[in-house]
Amino acid sequence: MNQLKVLLLLILIPVPALAELHVTIVQGLGGNLVFDARFTEQRQQISDASITMAGENRVSTFSGDDATRKNLLAHFSAISEQMSEEDRMAIYLIGHGSYDGEQYKFNIPGPDITDADLDEILGSLPGSNHFLVNTSSASGSILDTVESESRILITATRNGNEKNATEFGAFFAESLSEEAADINKNSTISIQEAFDYAERRVAEFFESEGRLATEHPQIRGDNYASFSLARLGDFESSSEDPRINSLLTKRLELDAEIESLQLRRNEFTNADYIERLQALILESAQVSEQIDMLGNGTDVNAD
Amino acid sequence: MLTRMRILHATYRAALAVLLLVLPLSKVLARGHLYGALDNEELLACEDLFWNGQSAQAAACYNRLYSPEQPPLVRAEALWARGNLQGANSQFQLAIEASPDDPIVRVRWGELFMDTYQFSEAYTLFAEALELDPANAWGHIGAASALSEGGDPEVLNQHLNAVMHEDLGLAEGARLRAMIMVIRSLLRDDRYEQAQLSLDEAFEWAEEHALPLMELNALQASHAFMMRQDYQPFIEASLQEAPNYGDAWFIPGYFATVIRRYKEAVDFFSEAVSLQPNHWEAQVYLGQNLLRLNRINEAIAHINTSYEGNAFNPMTVNLMRLLDNFTSDFVSISYPDPPEGPLPELILRLGQDEKAVLDKYARQLSEDSIAVYKERYRLDPKEPIIVEIYPNHEDFIVRSIGMPGVGLLGVTFGYLFAMDSPTAHPEQKYHWGTTLWHEMAHVFTLGVTENLVPRWVSEGISVFEEWRTGPIPGRKIPTDVLQAMAEDKFLPIAKLDDGFMRPEYSGQVIVSYMQSGLVFEFIDLEYGFDKIVDMLYMFNDGLSPVEAIEKSLGISDSDFDRHFKQFIDIEYGPLLGSLPVWMEDMNASYSALREEQWEEAAAAAERAIFTYPEYVEVDSPYIVLARANKELGNADAEFEALQSFWKNGGYLPNALLALADHYLEQENNPLAEEVLEDANWADPFLEELHVKLGDLYIETNRPELAIEEFEVLLALDPLDKAAANYRLANAWYALDNAEKSMEYLMTALDIAPQYRPAQKLLLELSRISN
Repeated sequence: MNQLKVLLLLILIPVPALAELHVTIVQGLGGNLVFDARFTEQRQQISDASITMAGENRVSTFSGDDATRKNLLAHFSAISEQMSEEDRMAIYLIGHGSYDGEQYKFNIPGPDITDADLDEILGSLPGSNHFLVNTSSASGSILDTVESESRILITATRNGNEKNATEFGAFFAESLSEEAADINKNSTISIQEAFDYAERRVAEFFESEGRLATEHPQIRGDNYASFSLARLGDFESSSEDPRINSLLTKRLELDAEIESLQLRRNEFTNADYIERLQALILESAQVSEQIDMLGNGTDVNAD
Repeated sequence: MLTRMRILHATYRAALAVLLLVLPLSKVLARGHLYGALDNEELLACEDLFWNGQSAQAAACYNRLYSPEQPPLVRAEALWARGNLQGANSQFQLAIEASPDDPIVRVRWGELFMDTYQFSEAYTLFAEALELDPANAWGHIGAASALSEGGDPEVLNQHLNAVMHEDLGLAEGARLRAMIMVIRSLLRDDRYEQAQLSLDEAFEWAEEHALPLMELNALQASHAFMMRQDYQPFIEASLQEAPNYGDAWFIPGYFATVIRRYKEAVDFFSEAVSLQPNHWEAQVYLGQNLLRLNRINEAIAHINTSYEGNAFNPMTVNLMRLLDNFTSDFVSISYPDPPEGPLPELILRLGQDEKAVLDKYARQLSEDSIAVYKERYRLDPKEPIIVEIYPNHEDFIVRSIGMPGVGLLGVTFGYLFAMDSPTAHPEQKYHWGTTLWHEMAHVFTLGVTENLVPRWVSEGISVFEEWRTGPIPGRKIPTDVLQAMAEDKFLPIAKLDDGFMRPEYSGQVIVSYMQSGLVFEFIDLEYGFDKIVDMLYMFNDGLSPVEAIEKSLGISDSDFDRHFKQFIDIEYGPLLGSLPVWMEDMNASYSALREEQWEEAAAAAERAIFTYPEYVEVDSPYIVLARANKELGNADAEFEALQSFWKNGGYLPNALLALADHYLEQENNPLAEEVLEDANWADPFLEELHVKLGDLYIETNRPELAIEEFEVLLALDPLDKAAANYRLANAWYALDNAEKSMEYLMTALDIAPQYRPAQKLLLELSRISN
């Protein structure tokens, strides 16, 4: 049972304790003041949200004159040296893109970043399951070149023919600090949650405008439900109080048991499943209550 | 030509087998009378047998005609009469090869296309016939018939005029057909006097040239019916001439639908199909009108029969498709449940997927409007009122008129009306609550007058009720109607129906709606509401609107027009004078908004509001002002703009949600609640609306109302299902129902096991149970 708990803990914790998340945010050219302002706001939202998960030091942003192909290639080259096999990279491209039928280009000052560049950048990073979200117009055209089983990709459009400026980026950026996007209420936003939120908001946007949707977001890859991008509010992971630490560990174990039960729900009748689930969550709730009480200075009998 | 033939063959292959199967050996397909278009004596002998009611003999006669000795044209006619359209088509091709320069072959082939609803192909053939012989009257009348199905009216008139006024040889029958087209058009347009003159002229012409009278008699019967006179002798005269002539009943039935007398139409169509079961058009019209009377199963049977007999009719095909959805995707709910008398008062027919969202609100609005109208119009409905709400606009249109592509929002047939759901118009410009209120008023004006109310009166009262008693009271006059007012385009009262029936410019129908509404505003303000009701009841006695006005108001129609004009001048004169300035300010505000020049946008919007403060359509300057002030960080001014928008009857759902937030921040729960409830009449499919309203009900200790809102929320399949289920658990907990609370709570926790508020509720529930 203890072995199972350890294994489940590893599954449950989105980014392994020793693994680190690196985030690179690239803001491309807006072309006019309105788009410049929108992209800047999105960059800021993503940056703030990413810091909650990766820490300030591992979040890099490129915008304006800094966002050149040369700088970006140098950045990824340098960072790949620092990353371990367990580390993961999240790359955000915010801006306009174009597709001429053969090549995709993300618009930045000087030479653009192409789909081939993106493929090379992702390929150069150690480890696997790195994440790239491209919110630009025509971004769906990179899927052919960049898609691979070991990568998680999100694009704002279905293909290169969807060339209108997109709405997806704004909603994706918003999702990272939006409680409504946190479907499982674990105070973190996973790739899946962010995508589901943004995809729905895009559909609602076009519906409320009475327009045919000119973009259809896409997601590719595996395990995007367990890849967390941002944390919401305070995240309790440890405490100076050993009693609280003990309770936090106990809660993690219970959460792992709950996840295990959910994975095996087909083995039970519905009533039996609910009964077991209720018992585990009740126990977890009691532990949380004890943590809160200790945090508030109330003594509890924690075992 | 090759392409057309290939298309024809391909289209016919599947359907013709069915056609042949359903025509018994002794039966002949109902075709239009030749009226002298062909002169082959053997063919005419068969035709005579058919029209004399000797079907079996006619069938045998046509069978004999299909012989190698006969020319291909005659063989084509014989096969066509026997229902073998594919064979007829092949024979027409041979006939063209045999007589390439004979226009009548192309004309008759064109008529075959007309019978299969391929009007464009038919027109091409008539045009080809006219290229061979520009003076061919049959070509002209064929072309006019084809164009009457949606072609250029000017060209149609040219063809019709050619037959009516030019010397086109000895084609007297073609001229009679042209006269019949004109009579039909006059009857459709309610021009009864002119129609009678044309009928008299046509009878004289037909008698002078020994042409058949049966169609004219059917039209005369229609005229008599529309004039509330005895029509039976004309039908009898028609049937005396042609005992199997289903059109003797079908034609009056068709005109009964034109004046919305659906029950009588069903009676006419029933007689038509009883006399001539293979009158496939009568079968589908019967089906369509039975649907209008809510006799669904009978309707399905007749539409199926029509389809089996003639799968070419687009109306039949559309109705078949609709019925597929209708039977599988709709659900009926009756209120009260169980009924307090022998029948329920209200039946809602809603899309299966929308029932959970619309049921509550549609019921509330229907019951409220019924209560209001019962009292105002002194009428207790004799039957259950049926409200059908369609998620798919095209389905609604097909249900209403049989064919898609028309921009209506609701149609009332009597005690049943159909309308679009808010989901049919997701762009937030559609206020479904007002549509329901409008249509329900028709139920009462049609009910009071047994469907005899003139169109403009019924529409005018419905618009008036929208403004007076509807969910968002207040006059809402679109800009183009103001423009029409400024250009003095309102019609005299005696001609107001023309604005609906025969619009002369784009947008005249909507102008006529608004004028009719204003007419009743005027009558109400000047003479009192009772006069409106008195006037309405007068239509039962067959009075015209002018007579009703004279009798109820004691004023001539010309005096009425003069007083109404004064009313409009007083109410709108100042605004109309400054309309150009208002439009400039509107344009300036939107232009500044697009450029994100917030201060300029706000200033221009304020000027526009000053000129016309009641303008609350979706492009209202209040919206611009609110947005600009929001961007400028001026929350108070944003709130004021939104509040004025709402208080003037504005309904844009997102604006109402934003206003509700302001009220909630100000802890003004009663107004927040009122605004949110109003938003439901605009778009109940907004998740946020039900979250806010439900939370508000919880806060004000009304969990039973909160449960209704949260159930709607859950039905909307929200992204955040855990929160929706938790809200329901919490509301049930507030109602002391631990079992229901636990049910929703465990659903929430299954989705989100670490959801702290839900965990806390679980702790509370477990402590209670212990």
